[in-house]
Amino acid sequence: MKSIRTIDQINEKISKGTINVVTAEEMTEIVKSNGIEVAAKDVDIVTTGTFGAMCSSGLFLNFGHADPPIKMEHVNLNGVEAYHGNAAVDVYLGVTKMHPERKFDYGGGHVIEDLVAGKEIELDATAYGTDCYPRKSVKTTFTLQDVNQAILCNPRNAYQKYNAATNGRDDVIYTYMGKLLPNYSNASYSGAGELNPLTNDPDYETIGVGTRIFLGGGIGYVTGHGTQHDPTNKFGTIMTQGDLKQMDPKFLRGATYTNYGTSMYVGLGIPIPILNEGLAKKTSISDEEIKTNLLDYGIPRRGRPSLKETDYAELKSGKLRLKEREIPAQSLSSLKIAREVASTLKKWIDDGKFLLASPTQRLSMTEVCRPMKITKEAVFAQNVMIPTVTCNIDEDTETVARRIIEKNVNHIVVVDEDDILKGIVTSFDITKAVAKKEEKLSNVVTRQVVTASPEEPIDSCVRKLKKYDISALPVVDSDKKILGIVTSEHISRLLGE
Amino acid sequence: MKARLIFGKERTSEPIIASVILRTKAPINILRAEVDEGTGEVLVEVPDDKAESAISAFKQMGVDVHVGWFIEILREKCIDCGHCITVCPVEAISTQSDLTVEIDQDKCVNCGVCVDACPTRAIKLSE
Repeated sequence: MKSIRTIDQINEKISKGTINVVTAEEMTEIVKSNGIEVAAKDVDIVTTGTFGAMCSSGLFLNFGHADPPIKMEHVNLNGVEAYHGNAAVDVYLGVTKMHPERKFDYGGGHVIEDLVAGKEIELDATAYGTDCYPRKSVKTTFTLQDVNQAILCNPRNAYQKYNAATNGRDDVIYTYMGKLLPNYSNASYSGAGELNPLTNDPDYETIGVGTRIFLGGGIGYVTGHGTQHDPTNKFGTIMTQGDLKQMDPKFLRGATYTNYGTSMYVGLGIPIPILNEGLAKKTSISDEEIKTNLLDYGIPRRGRPSLKETDYAELKSGKLRLKEREIPAQSLSSLKIAREVASTLKKWIDDGKFLLASPTQRLSMTEVCRPMKITKEAVFAQNVMIPTVTCNIDEDTETVARRIIEKNVNHIVVVDEDDILKGIVTSFDITKAVAKKEEKLSNVVTRQVVTASPEEPIDSCVRKLKKYDISALPVVDSDKKILGIVTSEHISRLLGE
Repeated sequence: MKARLIFGKERTSEPIIASVILRTKAPINILRAEVDEGTGEVLVEVPDDKAESAISAFKQMGVDVHVGWFIEILREKCIDCGHCITVCPVEAISTQSDLTVEIDQDKCVNCGVCVDACPTRAIKLSE
């Protein structure tokens, strides 16, 4: 691709105050009305932005030495445990580490937000004591200004795009994609679509090691590709670093996902220099062109099935078509603050306060994101289910009681003539019915049955048994046809073996 | 106006709301009700001109009446992501043209479903 300007020429224009910088949303409109050629000639830089929860984020802190000195072994910051496997007074605080009592309400991300906001943080550290570091404990308070270094260091930020999420189960689930209502009743997604940083430079022509970026309201750098970087599937990520002392609590916010965990919202923006017409075209990408899949997070497996392909235009419309229905869809990240990131970065450049940096190395275009190597296969419902003893709704309770004794089981599944699940009765229900001389099975059957799918992991079955305080889960296929039953008795016996 | 009625165990089997309607002739609208054997909590809407008489009638019948409860978005905490919009059962929450998330107090039934969905704990049930 023919070069039309260099980063040096761009920086010269920034210093002279003659730069033309627009946001990625504005670029999409400019290309639409003026065409790529004109846009490439006119626009020097396109700014991008995103403001989403980025769980792989954290902070390196160096406190300086106490007197007598301590080699910290266990470190809590406002009660949140920090990682201390480094030198004596260096720690790393991860945003997903939760306070042991406050749980989802307060974690590492909230400590970082409080630090940036200038609040005092409690440090409580203990140690075993050494000849050179004799001190065994230290309790103090500090603010951001009191530490030597506070370096935000995020192993994975700014996913190029992300899946949208919904829930096909018949109960509410709480996930890292938020609160998902039963039976596909809402959907959530993440990312700013056409404003997303990596989406505007999908071949990483200008984003690489050393790229200067907007990070948390301050200046940061891309230090390489991020963990789980998956360029061939357009799920690229970056690793970033920046000085927390320059940052702004508006662009770093603690996040709480009820019954899931804590995280941190990170404001991140990358300037894309328009070095050639190809980059003008790439930065003109619109929400309609950014495809992603709607996944069923109700299925607790790595490979969640895709219910449909969607795009960011449909997601941002707030309504998602799913078969015959329209369900509400909203972002978990903030488009409003993402726009502020892109426009703040634009202003910095316009004001001559931010110069572009040439990357010293490009991000990998070939790396593959592999699943975990497992040496022992996991167990699923289909591996532990046992055959069911069934009955139909017209049978009387005495017949069913006799069958319970004969087959020596505690659960009888009620099915219709096609083996479709209609209900369940336990030996206790039948005992009660017989004692009360209740003959009709239909008066004692439980019709709302919690079930499992054959591919459901056994850990997920155990969670259901515990959550609903029940002792068995019929295993059914997608048509509710009965395949077997997982009982707590049987699981306990397997564990005992 | 909206009022939250809390029923004790001994009251859940009585037709209290019907009695109050008959006595005060107030067209009471039930917005939300959660009643089981133990307790009951009902959110009702009463026309302003009948509010005083209906509330005193409820109180006379041994119902705990709370008025002035509402769901509030704490602006300094809210990041305007919009996740709460998708869980609201009565479409009381929406985004404005500048993407600010707002709650329509007239539509809200104070159910609180949005409270634990908020990733920045910016939604609160206030009095």
